[in-house]
Amino acid sequence: MKIKIELYGASRDFSNKSYLDFKVDRSSTIKDIRNKLIEYLDKRFNGNESYKKIVYSSAFCSGDDSIVSDNYKITNNEKIAIIPPIGGG
Amino acid sequence: MLHTKIVNSKDAKLLITEAENFISSSDFGASIIFTGTVRNQNNNQTVTGITYDSHDELVIKSFKEIYNDADQKLNIKDKSVFIEHAKGYLELGEIGIIIAVACKHRDEAYVLSRYIIEEIKKRSPIWKKEHYVSNESAWLKGNPILHEKN
Repeated sequence: MKIKIELYGASRDFSNKSYLDFKVDRSSTIKDIRNKLIEYLDKRFNGNESYKKIVYSSAFCSGDDSIVSDNYKITNNEKIAIIPPIGGG
Repeated sequence: MLHTKIVNSKDAKLLITEAENFISSSDFGASIIFTGTVRNQNNNQTVTGITYDSHDELVIKSFKEIYNDADQKLNIKDKSVFIEHAKGYLELGEIGIIIAVACKHRDEAYVLSRYIIEEIKKRSPIWKKEHYVSNESAWLKGNPILHEKN
């Protein structure tokens, strides 16, 4: 199935676009998305460690704007947002 | 009463007068307006501006949760709160956040204002990218939002 990962904060450096498209297996979870992102960074940015650190330290937001755990099961075409460490105000 | 908004710097500036107008009421005897502005130094680097990024829906949700939590945790029921945060590029001196609060008494107003800014820093998905005089730029590290790994 297809999913869209919206990029925010430091993760915007992962692409020239504001999102990444991935194809994942049905019943994939946030944990699988985290692994997909690591694979993507290994290929696209030669395993850039500071980028990978962002992925490991990020939370993820579901299509209904809730922070979800690594067990959260993603639905087809769901928009997932990566939420890197925050620092507003 | 609560007002919340994310203001894109391409469209408008944050205005203290709007905050003053919102919280103004004879029901309250104490009001505080906090502003956060872009300063010219950070970590021994000369800063020329900041780009703010924001997950708007989550940020507004977090502002409402912080407002409601103040009822429970601080027991401040009667209050007026105005929170606006900028997104996009801001130059030195421009306002990135306004938190205006009005309460019956000054003790409550000081506590509430401080509580809101500290909770925003912990809970609201907003990011800063600093721009330096060297023409380089960098996202600030920030604090992770807690998530379960299992």
